[in-house]
Amino acid sequence: MEDLVARSVCRLIVPFIQLYGAYLVFYGHLSPGGGFAGGAVVAASIVLYALSFGRETAEKRIAPGISHLLESGGGLWYLLVGLVGIMLGGSFLTNKAAGFYLGIPGHLFSSGMIFLLALGLGLKVASTMVTLFYNLSTEVNDEHGNGT
Amino acid sequence: MITLLDVLLLLFLIFCAVAVARIRDLLSAVIIFASYSLVMAIIWQMLGSPDVAITEAALGAGVTTFLFIAAISRTRREE
Amino acid sequence: METVLKLGENFYYLTAMVLFIIGFHTMLTHANLIKKLLGMNIMETAIFLFFVSAGYVQGGRAPILQPGQQHLYVNPLPSALILTGIVVAVSVTAYALSLIIRLYRHYGTLDANEIALLRAKEEEDN
Repeated sequence: MEDLVARSVCRLIVPFIQLYGAYLVFYGHLSPGGGFAGGAVVAASIVLYALSFGRETAEKRIAPGISHLLESGGGLWYLLVGLVGIMLGGSFLTNKAAGFYLGIPGHLFSSGMIFLLALGLGLKVASTMVTLFYNLSTEVNDEHGNGT
Repeated sequence: MITLLDVLLLLFLIFCAVAVARIRDLLSAVIIFASYSLVMAIIWQMLGSPDVAITEAALGAGVTTFLFIAAISRTRREE
Repeated sequence: METVLKLGENFYYLTAMVLFIIGFHTMLTHANLIKKLLGMNIMETAIFLFFVSAGYVQGGRAPILQPGQQHLYVNPLPSALILTGIVVAVSVTAYALSLIIRLYRHYGTLDANEIALLRAKEEEDN
């Protein structure tokens, strides 16, 4: 796809979409949004980039291997943050009792571990969507492929 | 009380749904479904759930459309 | 006149039902698998619309309260449920589409009736 209009608009608009996605992830505990919605918005921006600049260019920016790694890493990160609660003598995903820093209500760092959880969740959702895109847009060569 | 804008948007939804059901070209049907999702996101913002509106705009209008187009590009376009 | 006013009050429910019926009809009467999936998506959004409009409070705003500020807000429970529902809907769509691609590669058609015939023939041959 060699479309000048699509490429110019995409180059203009993708940074703003990603900024908005990051805002949704970081401010999920104060305003609408959260890890899932923010991650989906970031993933949509990457898919838009890949659609207008071609898959090869997008793969140079975000390699499928890194995307796979982030997908597993996001889930593990969530689990680890949850286990910190158990280490410090509470139950799984304990927030205040485990001694996470709770700032002034209404500020960015005011939710303890929820901030960290949303970060991992956003990374996981975004990389899952990008991996889905890479997998669905690849031709599988063998006729009876074994579930790639 | 229901406003004129509500009625217009809801009628647009029904119109889009009928068009998706009637059109023979699958790619056109998917594009109409994307506009359906976008109007749905506006309606959710008006119903006071911006959470759902953001998710619908990103997932319903963005990711679902892309998934359908990827599937159509690898199968066939006519019904 | 009174009936029209009642209808206007419940216009969201009416639209949700009409959309559900359109989606259901699309799913039942079209043989094309992708068209069936589109009909299923319309059905899902109709259910979501029904739920969210059931939680709407007249004149209410989004359920975000700043400290020291009071206003009427809509019921947040349907929104939270529907958020999960949308995620499930997208996952089901992705899974169904990957199955459809695989079916097309095997049988060379997207028509459900033809696929059923081909399957019956395959079983006879075995």
